[in-house]
Order: sequence, then structure tokens, then C-alpha cells
Amino acid sequence: MTAYVPAEMKRSRSAGADRTFTLFTAGAAWLVLVLLGATALSMAWGGRLAFQTFGLDFIISPEWDAVQGKFGALVPIYGTLATSAIALVIAFPVSIGIALFLTEIAPRWSRGPIGIAVELLAAIPSIIYGMWGLFVFAPFMGANVEPWLTEHVGDWPILGPLFNGPPIGIGMLTAGIVLGIMIIPFIAAVARDVFAEVPAPLKEAAVALGSTRWEVLTKVTLPYTRSAIIGAIFLGLGRALGETMAVTFVLGNAHDLSVSLLMPSNSIAAAIANEFTEADSELYRSSLIALAFLLFVVTLIVLSFAKLLLVRLKRIHGRTL
Amino acid sequence: MNDHSATLEQPAYLRFEPNRDAVPDTATQLSIRHLNFFYGRAQALHEVNLEIKANAVTAIIGPSGCGKSTLLRSVNRIYELYPDQRAEGEILVDGRNVLDKRYPLSDLRRKVGMVFQKPTPFASSIRNNVAFALSYYEKLSKAEVADRVEDALRQAALWDEVKDKLNQSALGLSGGQQQRLCIARTIAVRPEILLLDEATSALDPISTAKIEELIHELRERFTIMIVTHNMQQAARVSQRTAFFHLGELIEFGKTRDIFTNPRVQRTQDYITGRFG
Repeated sequence: MTAYVPAEMKRSRSAGADRTFTLFTAGAAWLVLVLLGATALSMAWGGRLAFQTFGLDFIISPEWDAVQGKFGALVPIYGTLATSAIALVIAFPVSIGIALFLTEIAPRWSRGPIGIAVELLAAIPSIIYGMWGLFVFAPFMGANVEPWLTEHVGDWPILGPLFNGPPIGIGMLTAGIVLGIMIIPFIAAVARDVFAEVPAPLKEAAVALGSTRWEVLTKVTLPYTRSAIIGAIFLGLGRALGETMAVTFVLGNAHDLSVSLLMPSNSIAAAIANEFTEADSELYRSSLIALAFLLFVVTLIVLSFAKLLLVRLKRIHGRTL
Repeated sequence: MNDHSATLEQPAYLRFEPNRDAVPDTATQLSIRHLNFFYGRAQALHEVNLEIKANAVTAIIGPSGCGKSTLLRSVNRIYELYPDQRAEGEILVDGRNVLDKRYPLSDLRRKVGMVFQKPTPFASSIRNNVAFALSYYEKLSKAEVADRVEDALRQAALWDEVKDKLNQSALGLSGGQQQRLCIARTIAVRPEILLLDEATSALDPISTAKIEELIHELRERFTIMIVTHNMQQAARVSQRTAFFHLGELIEFGKTRDIFTNPRVQRTQDYITGRFG
């Protein structure tokens, strides 16, 4: 009597190959974590001199004076956050509009070409956005949009100070808008894909109850795709926070703290790119590396916040896409 | 090995026998006249003429692809979501042609409710699901909304199961409960006509029996059209039955007659299972 042995167990070679493959994939996954930790550590190490010298002042002081050797990162931190926020405010509604149009409203034949055009926006190198921003968009902003804003919105109670300033074209508002255009393809592409995943009967059920397109979007599609859309927003936000080239061109690179979005400012990435070659002292270079570390931390906080939000939403609303 | 199944008595819900209800001779709620339907160039319905009586259940039966769902989708013009679909002919409700582009969609969607094959709860609370469309048609206070939600859930025989968890997600309900929630959501806006598009085909037998019982009760207040590929179900719940084949109405009459004494050979072949 011979016991039955499945064919795959007779060949121990395949078990060995399987183990190797498992180890390889695990190694690849762990490598990411190790790299992440190593990056953070080496930046913290490189920036230790700045942190030791200035302490908390490095984060809360707006003074960045290379000549006197005083470095505070408040202006670049504020500039980074403000431009990214403007970018999101612009990119979110436009992206949702694009995604909705492409999945629901556009004639079928036009969906492919328009969709590809939107994706191609993501393929344009950021330096081209920067040059366009500096030579075309900033003069336009300075000549048309900013004077209008100062005149009409500038004296509003709370929002007013944000839009009051010299119409010079470059500044946080212009940089934020350029950033917004840059992250639209990322949010729109994800939103389009998840909108297409909403089951047709779900939308038909809402329409059969008398919902308009707008009501289907706000009451069915967005709630159903909530998690994925928030993920897409933070993907765009992550990109906006770290974008360097385009922002460097149109932000103005001024280390002055100003409430007005029309004023030139600085961002973390732009400051590093601009000043790294000029960093003549040990402390200066250390401060720039410390800035990089801060960008890392800010991005990490934003993304962790997104994850937390998703977990909370899942608990409240049950499982959705 | 003996075949035990032969000795088992069939449970009531599988018995193939038309219901014995009297067929009420009520007014005509819906007149379908010369209806033709097209998916692009393919014609799915040919010259359909059908009178749907008020406060009765009309079953639409026929093999897959015969156009029975298409017929329902014409009545509330849901097909307009898809640009390549179109209907020609007339569907008269209260003497007005609802297929006319000038007939306001919001009036039509209020008058005609629809329940789909698979439960379609929205990713929101049970309460919000039922109250979903109330604000489209009426200005109601919070208390009135609560009343209407309770009323609709009671009519859908779901109230006792969900009254303590109205704020919980509707996605947490079982499939049968979700489908009754969809019925509650539909009747909350007080339509006149209910379209059920294979509304039990995704459910287990017990949930199916509950919904059939529900259809039986709702019949008194609504005009119901039900599409089903389950002939026992058609026989049990409907008063009149229309048999469709290849986009044409083959035979229409009282359910009892269709199932016991069909006049057309094709109807007989279908209900005796010779094709389908």
C-alpha cells in the first residue's frame, strides 16, 4: 500500500523556490521601512547643530538671516502650509468636477481623450510649470487679478488682510494656484477611477427617487467613495507640500513673515533648493538639513492625520470604497 | 441509496400554484401604447400595448433578455441616464404621456418608485436612507420627517427590527433587511406606482417570503409592477401576468388563466419549463 502524495509535494525544489520568493518580497517591503528610518535619522543628525543652537526657536522664529547666522524656519513652514492649502482649495473642486464629467456627463467617445489629457498634465516637468508661472501667469496675476482682489476683497473683515498687498504677481497666492494646477491630475485621476467603481444600481436608485446629478454626487457618490477621495486629496497634498521647482520660481524667496497671500514668501523645499549652494557655514548647512527634516515631519503628520481620519470614518459609516 | 427528495413534501413557498385572490377590476393606472425601446440600434421592445390596473400586482415574466426589465425602466424614464437608450410610443399616467420630454421628471419620479434587483442602501444611516428623498418633494419639520420614516419602515415591515438603531449605518443590515429598507425608502415619498425589478432574486427564501407578503399588503395602496424570473413568485403574488418573449408581449391576462390555461403555445412552453 502506498500513501497518496500530491504531485507538488514530491518536488521539494518548488518549496525552496517558494521560500526564497517569500524572503525576497519581505525583504523588499522591509527595505522601504529601513530606508524611511535611515532618511529621517540622517536628516535629524545633519540638522543637529541647528537644533542644538536654536532649540525651539528654530521652529517658531521668523528670522532667517544668513549674514548674522540666525536661522528660524517659521516663514518657510508657513509658506509651505499656506501654498499647499491654496492648492487644495483650488484643486479639489476642479478635480471632482473633472472626474464627475468624465464618468457621468461626457459623451462616451470623448472620455478617453479628455482623460488622457488630464493625465498628461501630470507628465509635464515641474520646471515648465515654474517657467510658465514666472513668465506668463505671475505677470497676469499682477496686472489683473491682484489689483482686483485688493480693491474688492482687501477690506473685508477676516479674509481682507489675506488679499491686501502690492500687486507684484509673485507670491503665495500665485504659487498656490500653480501648485493647484499641478496636483489636479493626481486627484482627478484617482477620483475618476473610484467614481467609476460606484455601482450603477446605486446611482440609479438615487435617480429613481428623484435625485438630480448634484444630489447623486453629494448624497451617494461622494459618501460611497469617501475614503478613496480623502486618500486622493492627501496624495495631492503630499505632492504640494514637497514640490520644489515650480514654487521656487513664483514664490519670491523672501524670508519675511506676512499675512497677505499677495506677498512673496518662502517654502521649505524652495529655501533648500535656493540656498544649498550658498550655505557657507556649518550652521547654515545644518539649518537647511534641519529644514528638510521639518518637511519630512510635516508631511508625516499630514499623512498620519489622513490615516486617522479614514479609520474614524470607517468606524462611523461602515465599510465603503 | 434511495432518493429521499421524492418523498419530501414541498414547502409552501415552493408550491407552484396561482393565488386564489379575487382579481379586482380597478381603474387603469398606466396605459402603455405602442412602446418601442432601443439600445442604440438594437430594438428591445416591439409595439408593446399593456394596461396596468390600479391597486393590483401585475407580474412581467419571460426568459432573460425578453425586455421585461426594459419595460419597467421605461416607465420611470431611468433609461435617460444613458444617452444611447430611447423609448418611443406612449405611457399614459392619469391621461398624460410620461415619455413626453415636457413631462417633468421630478413629478414622474415621485409618482413612480423603483426597487432594484440587488439592495442599494446608501452609505449613510438607516434614518437618512429612508428620509433620503423626502426633502425633494415636501417641506417637513423634524418631527414630521421622523413620523414619515417610522410610517415607511412600518409599512415595509422593518420597523421592529431597526427602531433601536436608526442612526446606525444601513450597510450593516442583512440583505433582506436592506431590500425592505429600499422599499421603505421608496414608499416614504408616497408614490402611486411601485416597480420591483427582480427585487427578491438576490435574497434567501425566508427574506423572499417576507417581501412577497409585503407586496401582498402594499397592493392595497399601490399599483405594483413586478418583474421576476421566478414563475412561482409571479403565480403567488400577482393578479395579472404579462408574458414577454424576444421583446414582444405574447400574452396578458389574469394570472390564474395564464398559469392554468394559457392561450398561446409559447406561454405554455415557458411556464412548463420547456425553454427559458
